[in-house]
Amino acid sequence: MDWVALRLSLELAGLTVLLLLPIGVALGRFLAYREIRGKEILEALVALPLVLPPTVFGYYLLVAFGATSPLGRAWQALFDRPLVFSFEGLLLASLIFNLPFAVQPMQRAFEAIPTDLRAAAACCGMSSWRVLLWIELPLAWPGILTALVLSFAHTLGEFGVVLMVGGAIPGETETIAIAIYDRVQAFDDRAAARMATFLLLFSLATIAVTFFASRRVGRRLG
Amino acid sequence: MRGLEVELEQRAPIPLSARLACSPGELTALVGPSGSGKTTILRAIAGLYLPARGRVVIDGTVWLDTAARIAVPAHRRRVGMVFQSYALFPHMSALDNVAAAMGDRPRPERIARARELLRLVHLDGLEARKPAELSGGQQQRVAVARALAREPAVLLLDEPFSAVDRATRERLYREIAELRRILSMPVVLVTHDLEEAMLLADRLTVLHRGRTLQTGTPLEVTTRPASPEVARLVDLANLFEGRITGVEPSRALTRLDWRGRLLEVRGPAPAPVGAVVPWVVPDGFVILHRRDRPSRGERENPIPGRIEQMLALGQTARLTLRPDHAPELPIRFSVPLHVARRNGIEPGVTATVSLLAEGIHLMAPTSADNRSARGEGLQDGA
Amino acid sequence: MKAVSTVSRRVSLISAACPVVALLLRGVPIRAEEVPLVAAAADLRFALAEIAERFTRETGERVGLVFGSSGNIARQIRQGAPFALFLSADEAYVLDLARDGFTRDEGTLYAIGRLVLLVPNGSPLALDGTLEDLARAIRDGRLRRFAIADPAHAPYGKRADEVLRYKGIREAIRPFLVYGENVAQAAQFATSGNAEGGIVAYSLALSPQLQALGGHAPIPAEWHAPLRQRMVRLRGAGPVADRFYGYLQAEPARAIFRRYGFVLPGEPVTE
Repeated sequence: MDWVALRLSLELAGLTVLLLLPIGVALGRFLAYREIRGKEILEALVALPLVLPPTVFGYYLLVAFGATSPLGRAWQALFDRPLVFSFEGLLLASLIFNLPFAVQPMQRAFEAIPTDLRAAAACCGMSSWRVLLWIELPLAWPGILTALVLSFAHTLGEFGVVLMVGGAIPGETETIAIAIYDRVQAFDDRAAARMATFLLLFSLATIAVTFFASRRVGRRLG
Repeated sequence: MRGLEVELEQRAPIPLSARLACSPGELTALVGPSGSGKTTILRAIAGLYLPARGRVVIDGTVWLDTAARIAVPAHRRRVGMVFQSYALFPHMSALDNVAAAMGDRPRPERIARARELLRLVHLDGLEARKPAELSGGQQQRVAVARALAREPAVLLLDEPFSAVDRATRERLYREIAELRRILSMPVVLVTHDLEEAMLLADRLTVLHRGRTLQTGTPLEVTTRPASPEVARLVDLANLFEGRITGVEPSRALTRLDWRGRLLEVRGPAPAPVGAVVPWVVPDGFVILHRRDRPSRGERENPIPGRIEQMLALGQTARLTLRPDHAPELPIRFSVPLHVARRNGIEPGVTATVSLLAEGIHLMAPTSADNRSARGEGLQDGA
Repeated sequence: MKAVSTVSRRVSLISAACPVVALLLRGVPIRAEEVPLVAAAADLRFALAEIAERFTRETGERVGLVFGSSGNIARQIRQGAPFALFLSADEAYVLDLARDGFTRDEGTLYAIGRLVLLVPNGSPLALDGTLEDLARAIRDGRLRRFAIADPAHAPYGKRADEVLRYKGIREAIRPFLVYGENVAQAAQFATSGNAEGGIVAYSLALSPQLQALGGHAPIPAEWHAPLRQRMVRLRGAGPVADRFYGYLQAEPARAIFRRYGFVLPGEPVTE
């Protein structure tokens, strides 16, 4: 069991989810509530990582923040290390390729809230923040939870993009999924099997727990 | 200036040209067909909708003034609104729903006051229930309590009774009437149900395609409509055209030629002699002559004709008379059923009605009248 | 109401700031202890692991190892990968990088690689380094799948391709070929039970792991361009990387290379 790789994977998935919570809520609400021209284009952009092959996606990410790109160069100047092949680069890639997993369930959850409810909340004297906290989030919570769980599980399993953008550097970008791949090539089947089983059970447990929790939450909301 | 003043102007996406006023303690009904913009106007008052141009002032406080770039957001207006769908928060109990409107008070105070309000709307004992566990009528009452909890400067009701059955609605009308005795703020009720408006409102504003056409007491609007359009909107059946043939200012009379029959109308002429004007005579001013006694000459504006249709609805007979002099312009009116029976009224018999002089209401000529100088009826179909 | 909304705003700000703070804390590199990254061609997987372990035992200093195809590693270096040392299986990659300014110098030749035919246990193929039996197996249907590394970016794959061409069976064997991303993956494919064999690195075949899975037969070196394996220090390589670079060129390391079938520069080829 490669504990470093496991910890790396959990950190990557955990930070992705933590950062996607506010991003997903903001974007999900925006798409749910606003009717603007070109909304379909925005939705399509958000959904793009779903349909794009990971290698195509990885390729474009390299173009976007590789060492020769403006973003990559700026990062190098600021932190004296490249954005690609670093954990931060991986996190950035992870945020982008998990966007549809985070935004879509949240958007559906916010769309399901009748518009009159938010209007009624405003008429009750609630500012936008209070409406979000006391009305929208309690009602949209199952969808938000689903979004976070999906993103977490997806990040744990992501391989192609991580490999292309991260480079499988132990301690920095070698996630557990990559480590399994590496162990197989090193003819260390036992280690590979151990890690694969762990990942399988961990993912199953995470998803089961959250479905259980969201059903409880759903029942509470009536 | 106390009370509510509203002026809204907009061309698109929803056309609006509305003026509304409501004094404290008064209930104004906003009446019009679906799509006439009633809900939009209500939402503009509440601050949920921003019109292109407009002013909303309540008790001297400006909530909206587009010219001065003032637009107080909805959550800062003291407005209580009851939505057509009630919009109760499904994850909160009735008590918490009502308490939610009092966010600026400490919790114990909120709970106590919420309980009071629920008691006021006859829901004590049901505070802990969630909206899903309440009937439609109960939900509506929670919505009203929540609106009142805000201590609103104006109470807005958006077709609050449309989703409720008749029996419950009757009960709710009585409760609203009761509540009104203690409410001191202006109340605006939006409804497409004219009867409801007649029952509950002190003033009626008729709305069509975003334009407020007439405001007045329910009686005024339904007996003295400002235009044929209003007459149609308030379901006045007997809408015709006639030519003014003369005036007698000393007796406050105007003479009207209706397809050859001369009518006497009490009231001033809205146009010069010779002009063609639309006119209307509401049901209550059409009197059936007794058939056993011959008609006397003094009877006002007698119109002989033939009964075409008689519909018995409850204890009322709804009759349609085809006048002899203008059979294509039927007069609709109603009498108690026993009167109809006593006079042997049935389809096919001849009968005469009087159009009371003070009931005939003349309106200013519209541009459409210039087309029909022959005095044809303006009803859609017949 | 004002008090509540300010609090809720603060809470929201804090919860948004937490991940950023966590990220920044994590991102602070601990430069005090340098663990240089050594990117090596996949054929060195076992040999280099042993050498590195020895290095750490002797000096107490650690190096990080990353394996892949030489072509892939060269690409990553061009994209800014933070490697300190590159051990390529084909010196062309190193010389190109040197010319383009990514390296400290032109590096040094550290080994000559060899190809073998790998035949897993239970395979119908014979252990024939002349590939005669392989040619027969193509014709008589014994062969269903044969693994080599990807010639596009793996030197061992490219040489395997040359060998097949030399033998004249390249077109015939093409429908049966499976490509590993690097030569280690090719070896893994070859021994996975889904192929009848493959052409892989001698150094891999000599490892205990692969010895247990099958046998191998050396392929004549003249049949392909030589596998001149060159290593180089990259720009930004630190003192530990320098020391490891030196260590690789001296005795305990050279003995290990020899044990894994590499021919060291300047030494005669022993069959």
